[in-house]
Amino acid sequence: MATHNATLSRQARRSPSAWHLVVAVLVALVVLGIYAYAHELSEGMAVTGLRNIGPMGGATWGLYITFVVYFVGLSFAGISTAALIRLARIDRLRPISRMAELLTVVALVLAGLAIIADLGQPLRGIVNLLRYARPQSPFFGTFTLVISGYLFASLVYLYLDGRRDAWLTEQTAERHRGFYRFWAAGYRDTPAERERHDRATFWLAIAIVPLLITAHSTLGFVFGLQVGRPGWFSALQAPSFVILAGVSGLGMLAMIVAAVRRRQHREEELGVEIFKWLSTALVILVLSYLYLVVVELLTNLYTGSSRERDVMSELLFGDYAWIYWGAIGCFVGALVLLIFRVALPNLRGAVWPVVVAGALVNLGAIGKRYLIVVPSQTKGTLLPYDEGSYTPAWTEFALVIGLISLGVLSYMLFTRYFPIVEHPQPEPAEREEAQ
Amino acid sequence: MEACKVENATPESSFFMYVFRFEQGEYPASRISFLPRPCMHCDNAPCVKVCPVGARYKREDGIVATDWDRCIGCRYCEVACPYGVNSFNWKDPEEAQYLDWKDPVITTATDGSIPPYRNPALDEAYGPEQRKIAGGGHVQGVMEKCTFCVHRVEEGLDPACAQTCPVRALIFGDLDDPDSAPAKALQQRESFTLLAEAGTEPRVHYVGGSPPTEDARQVDAPEVRV
Amino acid sequence: MKLSRRTFLKGTGAAGAAMAATRFLSGPGETLALAQAQGAPVEDYVPATCWIGKQECGMVAHRVNGRVIKFEGDPTNPRNLGTLCPKGMAQIMPVYDPNRVKTPLVRTNAKGQPGQWRQASWDEAIEISAAAIKEARDREPSIVLWQKGRSKSKYVYDEAVTETLGCTKLGHGAFCSDAGYRAMEYTVGLKGVLNPDFKHTRFVLAWGWNMTNSGGNQLCWITWPRQMLEARDAGMKIVFVDPRIRGAGPYADGWLPIRPGTDLALAQAMTSVLVEDGTIDQEYLVTYTNAPYLVGDDGFFVREGDVPLVWDERSEKAVPAGSSGASPALEGTYTVAGAKVRTAFEVFKEHIAARTPEWAADICGIPADDIRNTAREMGAAASIGSTIVVDGKSLPYRPVGVMAYHAMQQEMGFQATRALAQMLMMLGALGAVGGTLSTTKWEIDSKYYEWDAVEIGDGPYGFTLSSSKYFPINSGSTAVAATVMNDPGAFDVETLPEVMILHMANPVVSFPNTETIKEAFSKLKFTVVLSPWLSETADLFADVVLPAATVEKYEGPNSGSDTYIDAVTIRTPPMDPLFESRGEFDIYVDLFDRLGLLEGEGGFIHHINEQFELEGKHAMPTDRMPTARQILDAYAKGHEGIPEGIEYFEKKSSTYVKGPIPAEERYGYAVSPPFAGVLHRFYGESLLRYQHTMKDKGADEIFWRDYTPLPTWRGLTMDDSPPEYDLYLISHKLVEHKQGRTSFVPLLKELTGGQQLDMNTKTAEARGLQDKDWVWVESQNSVTGDTRTVKTQVHLTETLRPDTVSMRHGFGLWTHPEAQDQGPSPNTLFFTGPGYVANTADQSFQVKVRVDRADEG
Ligand SMILES: Nc1nc2c(c(=O)[nH]1)N[C@H]1C(S)=C(S)[C@@H](COP(=O)(O)OP(=O)(O)OC[C@H]3O[C@@H](n4cnc5c(=O)[nH]c(N)nc54)[C@H](O)[C@@H]3O)O[C@H]1N2
Ligand SMILES: Nc1nc2c(c(=O)[nH]1)N[C@H]1C(S)=C(S)[C@@H](COP(=O)(O)OP(=O)(O)OC[C@H]3O[C@@H](n4cnc5c(=O)[nH]c(N)nc54)[C@H](O)[C@@H]3O)O[C@H]1N2
Ligand code: SF4
Ligand code: SF4
Ligand code: SF4
Ligand code: SF4
Ligand code: SF4
Ligand SMILES: [Mo]
Repeated sequence: MATHNATLSRQARRSPSAWHLVVAVLVALVVLGIYAYAHELSEGMAVTGLRNIGPMGGATWGLYITFVVYFVGLSFAGISTAALIRLARIDRLRPISRMAELLTVVALVLAGLAIIADLGQPLRGIVNLLRYARPQSPFFGTFTLVISGYLFASLVYLYLDGRRDAWLTEQTAERHRGFYRFWAAGYRDTPAERERHDRATFWLAIAIVPLLITAHSTLGFVFGLQVGRPGWFSALQAPSFVILAGVSGLGMLAMIVAAVRRRQHREEELGVEIFKWLSTALVILVLSYLYLVVVELLTNLYTGSSRERDVMSELLFGDYAWIYWGAIGCFVGALVLLIFRVALPNLRGAVWPVVVAGALVNLGAIGKRYLIVVPSQTKGTLLPYDEGSYTPAWTEFALVIGLISLGVLSYMLFTRYFPIVEHPQPEPAEREEAQ
Repeated sequence: MEACKVENATPESSFFMYVFRFEQGEYPASRISFLPRPCMHCDNAPCVKVCPVGARYKREDGIVATDWDRCIGCRYCEVACPYGVNSFNWKDPEEAQYLDWKDPVITTATDGSIPPYRNPALDEAYGPEQRKIAGGGHVQGVMEKCTFCVHRVEEGLDPACAQTCPVRALIFGDLDDPDSAPAKALQQRESFTLLAEAGTEPRVHYVGGSPPTEDARQVDAPEVRV
Repeated sequence: MKLSRRTFLKGTGAAGAAMAATRFLSGPGETLALAQAQGAPVEDYVPATCWIGKQECGMVAHRVNGRVIKFEGDPTNPRNLGTLCPKGMAQIMPVYDPNRVKTPLVRTNAKGQPGQWRQASWDEAIEISAAAIKEARDREPSIVLWQKGRSKSKYVYDEAVTETLGCTKLGHGAFCSDAGYRAMEYTVGLKGVLNPDFKHTRFVLAWGWNMTNSGGNQLCWITWPRQMLEARDAGMKIVFVDPRIRGAGPYADGWLPIRPGTDLALAQAMTSVLVEDGTIDQEYLVTYTNAPYLVGDDGFFVREGDVPLVWDERSEKAVPAGSSGASPALEGTYTVAGAKVRTAFEVFKEHIAARTPEWAADICGIPADDIRNTAREMGAAASIGSTIVVDGKSLPYRPVGVMAYHAMQQEMGFQATRALAQMLMMLGALGAVGGTLSTTKWEIDSKYYEWDAVEIGDGPYGFTLSSSKYFPINSGSTAVAATVMNDPGAFDVETLPEVMILHMANPVVSFPNTETIKEAFSKLKFTVVLSPWLSETADLFADVVLPAATVEKYEGPNSGSDTYIDAVTIRTPPMDPLFESRGEFDIYVDLFDRLGLLEGEGGFIHHINEQFELEGKHAMPTDRMPTARQILDAYAKGHEGIPEGIEYFEKKSSTYVKGPIPAEERYGYAVSPPFAGVLHRFYGESLLRYQHTMKDKGADEIFWRDYTPLPTWRGLTMDDSPPEYDLYLISHKLVEHKQGRTSFVPLLKELTGGQQLDMNTKTAEARGLQDKDWVWVESQNSVTGDTRTVKTQVHLTETLRPDTVSMRHGFGLWTHPEAQDQGPSPNTLFFTGPGYVANTADQSFQVKVRVDRADEG
């Protein structure tokens, strides 16, 4: 029992003022985001940089949808890691399981909020999306499946998975015991309970996997099935969506793990093993992603229609080239770093290269998401409209920054009040003992 | 374009009807062409397929309608449409109406309607479904596009654009009726549909002429201001 | 599927519920405000006529509870057959524009700068204006200037108003198309320029016809393009003669990209091909023109007494023209009374012998082969000698048409139009079926005789310089008057205008040269402007502005003819005049009442009766103040014999259709006697006479050089500009805009953007200019050395000659908030004054410019 006590106290009782400062800044940014949104609601979306495709020479989907896609991508990595850990019983990764689950939940909430922010009629949106839901629309995939079903599933998963820790924490916590008791909901960590629980989460994990694949593929279909948008209509959309999601999610996870490790002094639990796994997985995914990028590039350059080629050359050499090559640079940079980490003796096993690589791939992912969403609208009109352009307005930046801040804040608060690293399961021996 | 704008009281920079004017070729073999572009009212309309709430739907008579009472403003139809015909209401509908029609010097003469030429018929519900699909919306945050002037067509009138075209370049009618003017025109002359390769099966056919080539350069494009 | 009343009511009930839901879901005020009326809306349709344009297309005003919600075309009007153009459609917006002038305004600051105003009552404003007019008029009626632009009721405004006042009247014609009018009046006796007989024509030269955007001869838009397309569908070919091809849209079967201002040379080169090939309608030339007249060495006709001689081939001697039984020779050199004489046609043949396509190729910048081929194609299409039966009459069939109008406003416009007429005369196509017409009915204008008998006086001259040694044939140009006002001594003028009534014109923006006009207008002692808008001219120079109503007034009559069907339109108001505005008829009645010029003999009513030919019981009593409605009621009943009178136009239709115009009224050959008995002035002897008089009286060569009996090419004034002015600037109209009176209409403005300088891509490349780059455009007056500059953005195009740039007409306005920031008017760059104004006092719209890169913005 002593170890458990120590764990909790280490995280919940330390509150240096730096923490408060960070929280204050984040709260301020969230408020800014809310202000921007209020402005957008009252003045209409004219205050964004978005405009109609074609006659207005604009993009009607922009930064918001970019981040919807990005956030959903993050969530993918979270839940798949968690499920993988559970299903493959990779016990050495168990310490990051909850982080991954939480990442999923937070990212999904952000994605949902970003979608709402993007709706011209948010209130109607919430009502009508349920009232008149049309499963034929790929949008349904993103909404009803990803945001609702998937968020629900992840929450249940997080909840079940956390009951034991909640009960354990309740035993020692000085404050908020009601909250822990509520979460634990009668769980007593008896072996029978533990067993039942284990089975339940296992099956839940299994159930989540197909949901996960469909959800992310439909998100790919949101773009991939559109004949009218050169650059979108491609069978590769779904796979590259999923892979890029993995890349960004793992990268984010690496950053979170490192942060928790540092803040909560969990150098041992969150050891080199974990980073090794993360970095290997990242290398594999980035490589696969780059492969898909090359394939897509070649297909478009050689076999694509002229409009596909136009959009492609805009990406490679036109207005968007800096983002394109910047993003590619991020991926390659990350790859190089991770390889050096293995190759160079003095870097071997270091944590920071994984963190930096994580940051890089996330930047790259945001860039790529942007490039998928925007240029096909501004430069991809099939009728001879003048070329368009899109520059996000301050409202959009403010809102996105507000959302990200909200995410970080929630994550920080959660980790402050709940064990972000699972209490170690009793050793089998211990279990038997208890029996 | 203007007939449509006045008939439907559309906001500034919103064009249910858009007329392309483009240049092709080099001096002195250069040429100007024109191409009016309403909504194609596609039979296999991507915009209908993607609408998450069924606000965009295909009517029995072929019109692709937008229910501005249901639309949630996700703009998915807009990205899905290959023709760029959708027009979102980016701002307060009254402010999007060109001039300050709230000026008291004019409201006495206009009974306060904005714009003064606004037709109440646009706010009625149409079709057996009785849905709000005429050009009356302009609701902030809602999508709209060419309605095929459903409020006129249901009265047996031609759409405003076809009605006003000085050179009768636009003919409207029931393509399923072989005796209708457009059906006859299609029988008599070569025609094409725009972006046929996209498989959208447009209901708008272009008789005579040829689709814009790839070197088409748009000229005299409207100046948009939102 | 008409809605029955029950379903309609049900519909509104549901609408109420849905409306409430909308409110809840989308927050308040998100749909547009709609007039709240009690009960079901009352819809009706009343007649109106297009007020924004030039041809008064018939309209139907769709009203809901008395509020006009749309203007649609009136199907009964032959000109527009139920359709409207973009301007006609959009006019509902300016009608309701809260920026209209709402009350009479009186100036409170000095003139020459943007005006400051106080609102005045109608009574006061009319009183001030009447006092100023009276004071000047009592001294000398001609110093009162009535300046109009478009006139929408010629009989009332141009005639009755000016005759009552005895004032000087100036129009906008010298900036529009008067050079062509003067040429046709002088040459054929018709008041019009040139248009094809589209119903029957097979081959058309669109000579500077901006077809998809504007006019053509006399009409505004809709009618000609529609007739053109119908003709083309029936197999007609059309070749555009224009430095730009933009106006042709996709409908050009050929393009001769002519260098600006060189039309005379091209027309003559084409004519020379016809002559060389012998494609000549001998019979027409001999019978209906003065081409067989014998011309002496001095260039004048050889006469017996007053009658010019012709060479009778039968008797082989010279006989007076018109001698019965004579068979005049068209060609040849003969000896009469010991002197060598040639027929006028012979003179012409020698004159153009060297004017070959090769000669013109250099001047016009068009390959000689293209000129020759086009001429031959035209010659073949003319099928000289053929006839066709129309309305039961067998008539000459020469299916070759020319459309020419505003493009003839060029330095040599008068003679260029004559050259075009001569080209058509070769083919006998003037007045033939399928050929080229000039007016709806073949009616001879009195100017045919006047222009042949101008008495060039000695100074001092009137300020318009009519009958002067400078511009004997005179279009009455505001720019010439302005030039004179700025330096009366140079033109031997003493009396200058002091008071101006400005009616529907905006000279400061529409007329070149802006600076010249401004300087002159600042010298006027009093200016009253009738306009629904504060025009730029009013802003700078009006003492009083009287708010004219727009579409909501009584006005007319105007023609509703499409040239095949005769019709008349009268504008009736679909609603009460907005604000305090009033129709011009009523304004003039008030003004004349105040001037004491309304009633009695010689009064305004008297003149209206005369103009409308109202007699007996139809005549308006000259002792009672009439309303506009009463005036037009009298016209409808008395002149047109419409029993319902004005009610016909108020309730039934905008247009009173009189029926098809029979061939006997339409075609020159068919009227009786043919061509209404006038001889076509193939050879302009009186022009030579004027030249001699002008010389004698000491006028400079620049004034008399184009007074030649046959159109004679010379180098253009603008080509004397220094070589760095290496581009020709022209201007063009846009289909979305009506002259300088719509660029502030937001609906139209958004379709066009503002000013731009069209430039050929190659030309721009050579200068390192890219699309949308800012440039200075500087023009140079090669006579005075003056330069003028404006700044605008270039627009690259492949549809324009490389040595030519073009700007859009209609911008450069500033008083309306929506008008601003749309760039300058090209009229700052075109010059007024000797060299740039044709021999008929007509303004040219071509000038040499240089284009240099400028900084942004
Ligand atoms: N939309 C619209 N329609 C109008 C009007 C309007 O303002 N707007 N105005 C009406 C009026 S008042 C008039 S007078 C008519 C005029 O109608 P048009 O006679 O068709 O005249 P513009 O539109 O001025 O076009 C002049 C054409 O002449 C060409 N051009 C310029 N210089 C030369 C030259 O030296 N030689 C030749 N061959 N061509 C040249 C120009 O490129 C242009 O295409 O339009 C009437 N209709
Ligand atoms: N560079 C260039 N210049 C041109 C041309 C060109 O092609 N290029 N075209 C020329 C031609 S063809 C013409 S005809 C002239 C036209 O030139 P203008 O005759 O000056 O015509 P607008 O510029 O239309 O000015 C008309 C004025 O009348 C006022 N007005 C409008 N409606 C009414 C009304 O109902 N009643 C009264 N009383 N006033 C009214 C408006 O305020 C406006 O200021 O411009 C010429 N100028
Ligand atoms: S043109 Fe576009 S908006 Fe219209 S039906 Fe087709 S896809 Fe839908
Ligand atoms: S914007 Fe409206 S009509 Fe278009 S897809 Fe979304 S909900 Fe449907
Ligand atoms: S059919 Fe009606 S809504 Fe559609 S473009 Fe024509 S006028 Fe506009
Ligand atoms: S000609 Fe007809 S179709 Fe073309 S722009 Fe004009 S009204 Fe529209
Ligand atoms: S052509 Fe002229 S008169 Fe006719 S509707 Fe257009 S602007 Fe009016
Ligand atoms: Mo004109």
